[in-house]
Amino acid sequence: MVTTLSRHDVVRRSAGRTSYRFGSPLRRSQRIAGFLFIGPTFALFLAFVLWPILYTAYLSLTSWGGFGAPRFVHFDNYSRMLHDPVARRALIVTLVLTGVTTAVLTFLGLVTAVLVNVVWSKVGVVVRTILFIPGIVSFVVSAVLWKLIYDPNIGTLNRLLGAIGLDSLQHPWLADHKTVLPAIIVVTVWGGLGFNMLIYFAGLQSIDPNLYEAAAMDGANTVQQFRHITVPSLRIVTGLIVSLGLLNGFKAFDIIFVMTGGGPNHGSEVLGTYLYSLAFGSTSGSIPQLGYASAFSVVTMVLCTLAVIAQLWLTRRADR
Amino acid sequence: MRTKWIGKSFATFVLLPFCLLMAFPFVWMLLTSLREQNTIFNGPIIPRKFTGVAYKDAWTSIDFPLHFWNSVWITSVTVIGVLIFATLSGYAFAKLDFPFRNTLFVLLLTTLMMPSTALIIPLYLELKSLGLLDSQAGLLVLYISGSAPFAMFLMRAFFQTLPDELIEAARVDGGSELTIFRRVILPLTRPGIATVVIFQFLSTWNEFLIANTVLRNTDALPLQPVLFTLMGQYSTNWPALTAGLTLSVVPVVIVYVRMQRQFVAGMMLGAVKN
Repeated sequence: MVTTLSRHDVVRRSAGRTSYRFGSPLRRSQRIAGFLFIGPTFALFLAFVLWPILYTAYLSLTSWGGFGAPRFVHFDNYSRMLHDPVARRALIVTLVLTGVTTAVLTFLGLVTAVLVNVVWSKVGVVVRTILFIPGIVSFVVSAVLWKLIYDPNIGTLNRLLGAIGLDSLQHPWLADHKTVLPAIIVVTVWGGLGFNMLIYFAGLQSIDPNLYEAAAMDGANTVQQFRHITVPSLRIVTGLIVSLGLLNGFKAFDIIFVMTGGGPNHGSEVLGTYLYSLAFGSTSGSIPQLGYASAFSVVTMVLCTLAVIAQLWLTRRADR
Repeated sequence: MRTKWIGKSFATFVLLPFCLLMAFPFVWMLLTSLREQNTIFNGPIIPRKFTGVAYKDAWTSIDFPLHFWNSVWITSVTVIGVLIFATLSGYAFAKLDFPFRNTLFVLLLTTLMMPSTALIIPLYLELKSLGLLDSQAGLLVLYISGSAPFAMFLMRAFFQTLPDELIEAARVDGGSELTIFRRVILPLTRPGIATVVIFQFLSTWNEFLIANTVLRNTDALPLQPVLFTLMGQYSTNWPALTAGLTLSVVPVVIVYVRMQRQFVAGMMLGAVKN
């Protein structure tokens, strides 16, 4: 999902304000209508967005198995987190996954957008569609597809390697601690690239062509033009893409849940999959640990908030 | 002119293999779904003989029509619900003047990026206490409430492009706010509505985590969680599994290809405009 906050929204907020005198009938009907119009959305928001956020924060300070009353334990869940090797693993995997996918997606997004922008326009439309399709199918579909491709015995990847004589590289990709994370990163990049390419492409299209002409007159070559015109003009777009990459990384769940369930032996465990298995993964009959799991929700929310702050910060710098 | 041609050729030369790589999983999915079950171990990667048996398997064995229909109607209700909530509130935030408008707007916005993974525990408990667990009604409530703020944000951006004079003229003519909204504003908002429809369709049709968590009743499940269980059931029958995936992807691709322009426009509005 695209969620963008910009300080311009806060600045621009007075736009559309009408100038009727206070208390005039026209003004009063607007006030009533305003509250009536936002009422339903706001009620749902309070009940199913804001309240859950606050309730999670409360639960994270308790110990609770889902029955009886939650027992208040102060910050025990958080200190437990520090000593839990799986939690540490999940945090590291989340950060590595987020960092690598964000970097790769930003770089490849820019490169493909520049290429699409150069190419013949009809070829460009075809390329844009092809690159975008992985992004519109569900995470479940992509995860199942790639799980089959990575299958150690008859998966296509191993068969292709065998067919070109690289049998030695054949591998149980998702069952090995070393390769499981790169394998998941590939799927994430595959699914997210089209979106970044399109956003960058739109950014490229909005650059004033006169800038390039002027630079060419001054004798700047293509590389110099790219460095001194293209990259700086795309700063806001880059800020957006980086922060969306961070956001998506911090909330990674579906692909990993379907492909590996966090395994092998927590090798691909992220905050999302760990909190889910703590709360709902009681297949072995263990008691759900809702308090402890909620602490991971809070950490996830804090990380996501940081991603949004990063975007505000990157956009602000770009404005200067 | 000549250097331009070289540049274009070079870009095409780099992009085409790249596109093949990106498209490969889908091509492979189609090819696998069309092959015979007994050739997946030893047959060539491109099958010599194509068969549609796997589609029949996938269609009948998991009651595909039932879950497909669940997805269709859950998605439709969500889209309509989100549209109603988002157009009303988006319009109010863009064009109506009322107290605390900006505070309320910022409050809605700041929680927009909270991922459903982080909220799934309280949402689950909430549905449980409301007696809505395991019901499609509960799922719909969560879908609509979770998506309405973002759609509101998009719609507000559209409404802001409409001139104030139009609304003021209608007010002077004595129209009530609701009449103005319905008769004057909504007809002008078609492109915005189309954008919300396609965004909402894609995200609801593809949603997995919430559906998989709050619905245990197999008859009520939409397609995505069923595809997930299909993976366990059919770990040996790859053609049936890939046929199921293909069938679930078809509506998404059709809608995307038909409404591509609105989709791209909406993304630009949501992403690049500010």
